[in-house]
Amino acid sequence: MVTTSLEDKSVLMNEEDTREEAAPTVYDHGGPQPLDVLIKLVDFSAYYGNLEVLKDINLLIERKKITVFMGPSGCGKSTLVRTLNRLNDEVPGFRTTGQILLEGQDIYAPNVDPVLLKTRVGMVFQKPNPFPMSIYDNVAFGPRIHKFTRNKSELDSLVRESLEKAALWDEVKDRLGKSAWGLSGGQQQRLCIARALAVKPEVLLMDEPASALDPGSTSKVEELMVELKDNYTVVLVTHNMQQAARVGTSVAFLYKGDLVEFGPASDVFENPESPLTEKYIKGNL
Amino acid sequence: MSRENNSERSAPIDSLTPWNHPAVIANHKARKARDNMMRILVICCALLVLIPLGDLLLMFAVRGLESISVPLLFNNLANPNPGLSNAIIGTALLTLLSSAIAIPIGVFGGVYMAEFSMGGRYSGGLRFAADVLAGVPSIVLGYVCYLIFVIYFHWGFSALAAAIALSIIMFPYIFRTTEIALKKVPVSLKEGAIALGSTKTTMVNKLSLRFALPGIVTGILIAVGISVSETAPLLYTASFADYNPTGLIHNQPVAYLTGVIYEFYQYNTPVDVQLTLLATFLLLLIVLMLNVVARLGLRSYLKV
Repeated sequence: MVTTSLEDKSVLMNEEDTREEAAPTVYDHGGPQPLDVLIKLVDFSAYYGNLEVLKDINLLIERKKITVFMGPSGCGKSTLVRTLNRLNDEVPGFRTTGQILLEGQDIYAPNVDPVLLKTRVGMVFQKPNPFPMSIYDNVAFGPRIHKFTRNKSELDSLVRESLEKAALWDEVKDRLGKSAWGLSGGQQQRLCIARALAVKPEVLLMDEPASALDPGSTSKVEELMVELKDNYTVVLVTHNMQQAARVGTSVAFLYKGDLVEFGPASDVFENPESPLTEKYIKGNL
Repeated sequence: MSRENNSERSAPIDSLTPWNHPAVIANHKARKARDNMMRILVICCALLVLIPLGDLLLMFAVRGLESISVPLLFNNLANPNPGLSNAIIGTALLTLLSSAIAIPIGVFGGVYMAEFSMGGRYSGGLRFAADVLAGVPSIVLGYVCYLIFVIYFHWGFSALAAAIALSIIMFPYIFRTTEIALKKVPVSLKEGAIALGSTKTTMVNKLSLRFALPGIVTGILIAVGISVSETAPLLYTASFADYNPTGLIHNQPVAYLTGVIYEFYQYNTPVDVQLTLLATFLLLLIVLMLNVVARLGLRSYLKV
């Protein structure tokens, strides 16, 4: 029922080469199909002033998979995920070199509007950050500012659909008008996921979405991520290796701004190539 | 080490568990006594702040209200049975006009400082300028406005000249409180809005202003209180009038409550004393109410 040209979001990107050619296999994918790459980082570096926080990253993010960025605090994983929707643009002194190609279009190119980019690449933060308004208004925030819906009933159904996708509808359907700040931490985080989904993104960036939650809420959010993978490309940042192993399709291990290792989750955890990765997995780094 | 060692201990401290060692207990008692003394001192100082306010309110409530009458509130000063209506209407007019000028400029300026200036060097200069402006003696501002508006622009003594002078006094308060209130909006919320595809303007309109509203309103009410209480700049720009304002905002002097106190305190006839006392009481009441409203508004808003 959502009417506006959501499917036309590619206007902001280059119409040509909307899909990456089968990239040369960077690692053994374990299957016959070529990789379906949505985002490709090419020699990507990022700086805060003169401090290089990401060094020549080359990385492929597959469509409708969960790509995990893992590493110790300060390794650059949060910076990396925040560059994927240009959330760091406002940070004084932040600059980048190299390219991040989203379906072949460099998202840091001057003709890309960072505001529109965020409707393609949504984000969920470490700490649940519901706005100080009702549950309904939180989810409706994005659709309202982008004028996705023509009338109340369309908005209602979009809000419902988003809450259902975030596995929260049943818990909040009777209290949509109540303040979102009255929800539990885990519910708040799923509300933030619903709020991001209501903008209909293709990519969902999740920056340690479960690190502030209790174990029960964490496993709910993890289950949710796995479900979301069917329709969305998920990029997950975590320092929790068990979580990375449970939900990740491929895992990138970052250390001090370097991409140390990148491959299918099973390979990285069972057969790490780099001694650094092995040390990290064993908890000795 | 050194401090613990100079207390006279009957036994080495590790021979007993510390909590029942005599030296530890003695030390604890001494600290407790110091704590209590400090507490009493602090409470006394706090009370000293309350006494003048209570005294003021009580005295002017009793003396101002003992002679309150209909003519005293609804006649103007030109009436043989004089009252404060021209001053009350004049103060309301000046407050409205000056707020209409100062609030939009102050709030937009504050929004610029908090969200759009990117912490550049101009913003530091602007903030400094606003702070200096807030510190300029109001009589200086009054004189400058007199020279510019009353004389050079030929507006004469007028509500407009006075309102501009007042708005210059109000502006820095609104400007700075708006900036501070907006800066208190958690970064996580702002980033949440940006990550949903908000522009800066959308974020400010739909989220930041809403969140910062109590702070901004408090700043506005404080600024209004200050403008209601000003006298010096008005003497230069509004002069004073015995008649009610007719709605003309230039070339017509205006009365105001502080002016009544200034004009009549030196006379001793009962009616002049009554007028002065009542004007004083009304001013105190307005300032008190502005503060109470600011507090209540703040409290109910924070419950969201």
